[in-house]
Amino acid sequence: AVGQEAEHRMETVGKLFSFFFKDEKTKISGDAVILMTEMLKIFVEEAARRSVKQADAEDCDLVDIEHFEKILPQLLLDF
Amino acid sequence: MFCSFSISDYTCLTMDFHQLLKAAVHFTVGRLCQEVGQDCDKEFSKQVTAAIAETTFRQCDNFAKDLEAFARHAKRTTINSDDVKLIARRSSALSKYITKKCEDLISANQEQKERKKRKSDKKRSSEGEQAEARPGDDDAGEAE
Repeated sequence: AVGQEAEHRMETVGKLFSFFFKDEKTKISGDAVILMTEMLKIFVEEAARRSVKQADAEDCDLVDIEHFEKILPQLLLDF
Repeated sequence: MFCSFSISDYTCLTMDFHQLLKAAVHFTVGRLCQEVGQDCDKEFSKQVTAAIAETTFRQCDNFAKDLEAFARHAKRTTINSDDVKLIARRSSALSKYITKKCEDLISANQEQKERKKRKSDKKRSSEGEQAEARPGDDDAGEAE
């Protein structure tokens, strides 16, 4: 079922994290998955909104990779 | 190609899984970008969506490694919400938001537990002694 608001599926986030863990024994609790889902959503939205702002400053209607490139360093420093 | 036949099926499977996860992230990023675009009357090019997806995927890798390290530092093998709070420490607004979200979750969990308890208490009093084994879904990790 796809909700109205786009969001990463919790199941996917859980799998994604367990895929990246170095140690097989590491597990992630349900609450942590919910919170990380929210974190990822904020990360993507922040990336999108900052890119839009950059495109706006340059008077472009299409948000392109150059706008994202400019906001990327600060974005990564903030997360 | 340098990969010989000695590479097991497992490697191929995990490589496929990697692509699958990437595709899932890409899909959600695309939808989120579309939403933001509609909100701000802007359009996102395909490349920028792909770039954001790739960045998110790698950031996820960083997050996972950090979370793992935090949990290990606390001598745990299961990552819990305290570790997530540490991930969000770099920006004060984000930290505040995540802390609030965490408190909400904890209170919601408690409410649910209490409701369950009340329900099972009622059941026990009406049906006498019945097995109280119910599918425990309150705080089990969903990672495998």
